[in-house]
Amino acid sequence: MNADITVDAKFKSCPGPLIALADAVGKAQPGQVVKLLATDPASPSDVKEWAQSVGHKLIATEKSGDVYVFYVGVSG
Amino acid sequence: MYHMSKIAIIVASEKMDKLFPAVTLATTAAISGWNAEMFFTFWGLLALKKGYQPSGVTLDYKAYEGKLTEALASGSIPGWKTVLEQGLATGRIKIYACSTTLGMFNLKQEDLEGFVDSIAGAATFLSKAKGSDVSLFIS
Repeated sequence: MNADITVDAKFKSCPGPLIALADAVGKAQPGQVVKLLATDPASPSDVKEWAQSVGHKLIATEKSGDVYVFYVGVSG
Repeated sequence: MYHMSKIAIIVASEKMDKLFPAVTLATTAAISGWNAEMFFTFWGLLALKKGYQPSGVTLDYKAYEGKLTEALASGSIPGWKTVLEQGLATGRIKIYACSTTLGMFNLKQEDLEGFVDSIAGAATFLSKAKGSDVSLFIS
């Protein structure tokens, strides 16, 4: 999947990945896709809950080894 | 009617093992669109002094202090103030300094960090915290 912005939050503990994601999403344009890389084991559920509460769309979650890859679609 | 979620946190310790969870929850709430009301009282107030850096963890957990210091140094865990500043940038965290403790330590608002919104008493904080979805006392 293509992303407009990639954020690398590997090896950052909670709340590092979410802060990095929220920051990138805040700077992105509506319709863009932000890709987040994280190793925090809580990130799948944290990213899902966060996206739901702020109204952005978690398009896909992948896992490659120990690294989670999230694609978040930025809402208007 | 749309309900804006809110968390109220009373911080009564200046140790890093207490400050970290307090600011983690406040900042995560703020970046999730919640409001966060934080009241720093007793030893927690010391954490609001200009330039304050926590000197260690709670005495009971001294054995783990090295682990936390190491994680902070490596950057895997960010500093408590870094986390708080990320949340403050949303404009949804309010920081109140306890008036009684301020007097006890002979401090004035100008001795405190610029991000302190105001000095407050118990009644003021209760009115701000009223209706919170989550409320915590961290000491």
